[in-house]
Amino acid sequence: MVNVTLDGKKIQVEEGTTILQAADKLDVKIPTLCYHPLLDPYAACRVCVVEASVKGKTDLVTSCNTKVLEGMEVKTASERALKARKLNVEMLMAQAPAAEPVKEIAKELGITKTRFEIKDPNEKCILCGLCVRTCTDVVGAEAISFIERGKDRTVAPPFNEPSEACIGCTACAYFCPTQAIVFEDKYGREIIHDELHLGPVTAIRVPIRQAVPMVPFIDKDACIHFKTEQCKLCEKVCEPEAINHAMEDEVMEIDVGSIIIATGYDIFDAKKNAVYGYGRLDNVLSGLDFERLCNAGGPTGGNILLKDGRKPESVAILHCVGSRDRNYNEWCSRVCCMYAMKFAHLVREKTGAKVHEFYIDIRAFGKGYEEFYNRLMEEDVIFIRGKGAEVTDVAETPEEEGKLVVVCEDTLLGLVRRVPVDMVLLGNGLEPRRDADEIARKFNIGCSHEGFFLERHPKLGPVHTASDGIFLAGACQGPKDIPDTVAQAGAAASEAMAMADRGTFELEPITSFINEELCGACKTCVALCPYTAITFDEEKNVSVVEEALCKGCGTCVAACPAGAATQHGFDDEEMFAEIEGALSVV
Amino acid sequence: MEEKEKAYRLHLMVCAGTGCVSNHAFEIKGALEKEIKKQSLENEVLVVTTGCNGFCERGPLLVVQPGNIFYQQLTEKDIPHLVEEHFLKGRPVQKLMYTPPKEKTPIPVLSDIDFFKGQVLIALRNRGLIDPEKIEEYIARDGYTAMAKALNEMTPEGIIEEIKKSGLRGRGGAGFPTGVKWEYVRNAPSTNGGVKYLVCNGDEGDPGAFMDRSILEADPHSVIEGMVIGAKAIGASEGFVYVRNEYPLALSRLNLALKQAREYGLLGKDILGSGFNFDIKVHRGAGAFVCGEETALLHSLEGRLGEPRPRPPYPAEKGLRDQPTCINNVETWANVPVIISRGANWYSSIGTKTSKGTKVFSLVGKINNTGLVEVPMGISLKEIIYNIGGGIPEGKEFKAVQTGGPSGGCIPKEKIDLPIDFESLTEAGSMMGSGGMVVMDEDTCMVDVARYFLSFTQDESCGKCTPCREGTKAMLSILTRITEGKGTEGDLVLLRDLAESIKDSALCGLGNTAPNPVLTTMQYFMEEYETHIKDKKCPARVCRQLNTYIVDENTCVKDGRGCDLCKRNCATDAILGEKGKAHRVVQEKCIKCGVCYDVCNFNAVKIE
Amino acid sequence: MPKLTVEDLKKIREKTRRTTMLREGGEHRAKITVHMGTCGIASGARDIMNALIKEIEARDITDVILTNSGCAGLCSREPMATVEMAGKAPVKYVDLTAEKIKEVLEKHVLGGKIVESYALGIGSEKTDLS
Repeated sequence: MVNVTLDGKKIQVEEGTTILQAADKLDVKIPTLCYHPLLDPYAACRVCVVEASVKGKTDLVTSCNTKVLEGMEVKTASERALKARKLNVEMLMAQAPAAEPVKEIAKELGITKTRFEIKDPNEKCILCGLCVRTCTDVVGAEAISFIERGKDRTVAPPFNEPSEACIGCTACAYFCPTQAIVFEDKYGREIIHDELHLGPVTAIRVPIRQAVPMVPFIDKDACIHFKTEQCKLCEKVCEPEAINHAMEDEVMEIDVGSIIIATGYDIFDAKKNAVYGYGRLDNVLSGLDFERLCNAGGPTGGNILLKDGRKPESVAILHCVGSRDRNYNEWCSRVCCMYAMKFAHLVREKTGAKVHEFYIDIRAFGKGYEEFYNRLMEEDVIFIRGKGAEVTDVAETPEEEGKLVVVCEDTLLGLVRRVPVDMVLLGNGLEPRRDADEIARKFNIGCSHEGFFLERHPKLGPVHTASDGIFLAGACQGPKDIPDTVAQAGAAASEAMAMADRGTFELEPITSFINEELCGACKTCVALCPYTAITFDEEKNVSVVEEALCKGCGTCVAACPAGAATQHGFDDEEMFAEIEGALSVV
Repeated sequence: MEEKEKAYRLHLMVCAGTGCVSNHAFEIKGALEKEIKKQSLENEVLVVTTGCNGFCERGPLLVVQPGNIFYQQLTEKDIPHLVEEHFLKGRPVQKLMYTPPKEKTPIPVLSDIDFFKGQVLIALRNRGLIDPEKIEEYIARDGYTAMAKALNEMTPEGIIEEIKKSGLRGRGGAGFPTGVKWEYVRNAPSTNGGVKYLVCNGDEGDPGAFMDRSILEADPHSVIEGMVIGAKAIGASEGFVYVRNEYPLALSRLNLALKQAREYGLLGKDILGSGFNFDIKVHRGAGAFVCGEETALLHSLEGRLGEPRPRPPYPAEKGLRDQPTCINNVETWANVPVIISRGANWYSSIGTKTSKGTKVFSLVGKINNTGLVEVPMGISLKEIIYNIGGGIPEGKEFKAVQTGGPSGGCIPKEKIDLPIDFESLTEAGSMMGSGGMVVMDEDTCMVDVARYFLSFTQDESCGKCTPCREGTKAMLSILTRITEGKGTEGDLVLLRDLAESIKDSALCGLGNTAPNPVLTTMQYFMEEYETHIKDKKCPARVCRQLNTYIVDENTCVKDGRGCDLCKRNCATDAILGEKGKAHRVVQEKCIKCGVCYDVCNFNAVKIE
Repeated sequence: MPKLTVEDLKKIREKTRRTTMLREGGEHRAKITVHMGTCGIASGARDIMNALIKEIEARDITDVILTNSGCAGLCSREPMATVEMAGKAPVKYVDLTAEKIKEVLEKHVLGGKIVESYALGIGSEKTDLS
């Protein structure tokens, strides 16, 4: 520890503390311009000069980089320090007349105007180097630097042209104390509908506002550290030292007794059916896009807005997008009618816009669902019976100018109608996950021809699969809404619990085994076993049956060319004995 | 190398320093060789090119050995006569010898000439005696014996102790004790497995200074030898010489010397069988003045923007690549071998109590004997200017001498007895600097001098810190205003405030010392500033905007017969008069360009 | 080029001693001045000079300074040379030939004994400028 006297006040600080830091502890304010606590001191603006005496030697030093020494006496506002500070600020006023922080410090020092020549009254840059140091020392991109020297010094990218080296992190603008560096989106975008799921975000964020656990994560793709291997500013500021950039994703192996598969669904990609214009026309949103837009944590803070920032005046909602459609998915996705109606309700409530629902028929089958449908009709939602046939921005009448037009055959009126709206919401259907096949193979469970996982029995084993100990829950087994999913998940959980609770496992009475002496290591059985119960022991060079998995189907027994595979109770001797026994009666 | 050295009866030492080379020294050499061949003397007379002789004023130079006969201001025409008379017939040619100003008889022998008589050569010990491109000649003059002694017989501590005892101080300007610096570097911990660096600062940038260039051109091996000794003392295995790219001759001789030293195993691994490894790399600087500042130099060496950083940490603690680094100036390194071989006691017997040894100065400006001189510390300014320098040309009066380059100050004639050492110069408001010495006579305007040096520092400021970047600009604009007759009395107050504040609060040495020329001229020549401001006159008649040009009608008619030359040359038709009659300047039209004054052959145009 | 040792450094220094001696005007045993005015050259002073240079080189003598001067004023006795042993009065030799000068070099300069048969006289005006 070091003892220092600062403006007459005594303080004990750790060795290596700068005068500025010591002053901060005593609440003595020393003005600074080129200093930032997260960067190494640069000592260039010379505004933070103070008078420091050690062992009878007095010097004018910059407080940002000068470390305190034992017995040092510091005067932050001595006549000598103030004279230099004032002149330096006065010179900066002439060099960068539009820099607000300089004006503020000047005001505090009682300087009203500068006596020096002003070159550019709009100049903001005070050449403090924070941007350059950020780009070089923190970001590591080295995309900007000082060029020229002396009075001609400026900050610029190489050759004063937009540089490849710039990674667009905007850190320089963030560190600039005078707003001399500004960033613009080169397309002038404000809301990015096409990238709704991205939105304007930082590299460190909580994934969504309602996230559980409520813990931020580092987005590796956006984090500067993973681009340039530098930065790590977050580590510097995180007091509990909770940030570790060296952390890697790791693959863990866990031994379990049973598995519940709840891999969910994908929504139908409306781009596959070009008539909806999804991905091509602005303001055509999928169900999930709209959920994000409505969300209070979404890019617009929950306001329903068009791409240009306007509120929509009319909205069309199309049912059965990709569902009940022989060209895509034949099944009913069960949830779209209800969520489409929820959208209608939200749009009415939040914007008051006119809402058109285009449906084939309304499937409001659950508890309270029909009542909700009736309520919507009272809310003046217009229901048009007819599947939306096309969404287009080609206007045929003046009213359609600048609008999206939904074309459909109104089956109640028997007319083809064109309905101009501002926004189109799609009721995308539900599909099996795109990797459902792979999962099915991995866990040795069956799939229906649509791709949803097969339960053992639709009525008697709705959560079981063909493999013992593997259960199903939710939309991976078939489209279903949240209440149904929760119910099924509860059932699957209790089945798994029951297994664990028993503590024992009943084997099939008849299982296969391999006679090791006879096994020819042809591995035919390994490939054929439908329950993946046979593995190959490379050391012994024979096939081995895992009895817990074997269902005693006998496929291996029939296939084994060496006759090494046999079923318990079904070996040749026993079979012959049985035949003999049966024949002896005759 | 032949087994036996060929014998010649005469060695012709042709000066091939940059000064003489630009005066066609190489052509002289060619003419000499041609003529010697013609007279069939090629087996008797050897032509040698040496580094800078120092008496640059009189180049191109030739010294004939044995005999030490000094020939000067040679032209190619003189060569046939010279060769025949002197080298063939043995009759030295008087008309090519040096005749001091105000005297009639030439002085044939170099050591009898005042310019050389007062000098003591340590850093320039091999001046004019060796061919800098031949390592054997350096070795013949006891070269590399100090290194052999340091490597084989001395401990690092012993070397440091010897240097400390000698009292050698850095010759780059600040005068920090060299031995103490070495000790710091030796004791500073390295964070990279003991790696330490050694740097030779050859980024000589002061206007009119060329000591480092001359040493590198004339005796590159002395610098190399000094660096190896330093490397052993501090424990470095890698060294750098930072030389500005504007010194092509110094660069090529240094590179050649390094190559020779490497071939001889005097650099590289296991030097002279001592087990010590050290090598030197040359780094060419792009010529920014600020790169002579040590932290800026290190940045430049690291490939970064050459701008200084705050000290501490000093380079001795955290220098090149964050490792302890010892930076010394070219001249300092050249002194080291002599101290090791002749001993600290001998060295410290030269000089004053606090400033030991000698210092090389480049003597320029309004002085008869322009050139490079090495003098013992403590010698007075008067001795340098009048004895060695031969006084002021054309009988004009000495006014001031500027030492230390743009960072130094002007010392007035009242202080001409000032002994030259670090302390006295600093006390007088100037500094030793790297050894520039600009002599000024009565025709020099001190305000203009201050303006000139400030325009240099303003131009060379890196722009990192506010006081230097903005302050020098502001000071320059005030000084320019004064020299144009637009100055006010408030300007002087602001000028002094600025100068003091910049000196106090700038980041590096460049900024801290930039106001020195202004402060010293204000201290010693305040009345000149006041005359510029109050009377709008420049006493030395240098600031043209303050001059009034008039034609003395009497002289114009009597001597010049109204020659009309001034009228014909006047760009603004401000001169009236007919040929044969008196002329007259119309002040309203005159733009004070001074052309009439320059062209008048009869001194009829006067300045008031 | 093999690496040098401290010994090699000394050897190089010895080898180039002649050069350093000549340029620095260091201690030397003797100075031989060959008089090379027009008369001297006409009577063969060049041969004397060449013979001396060759001999000095062959014998690897490093501490003898060889120089020339103008006419010594005794044109009839050319070629002439003056041998000046360090600290002793100069001796003038006249009517020289290459053979004679070699003898002088050996006997007088190296041996310290004046070759009286060729000598004109001992002691003379100082002609050299240094």
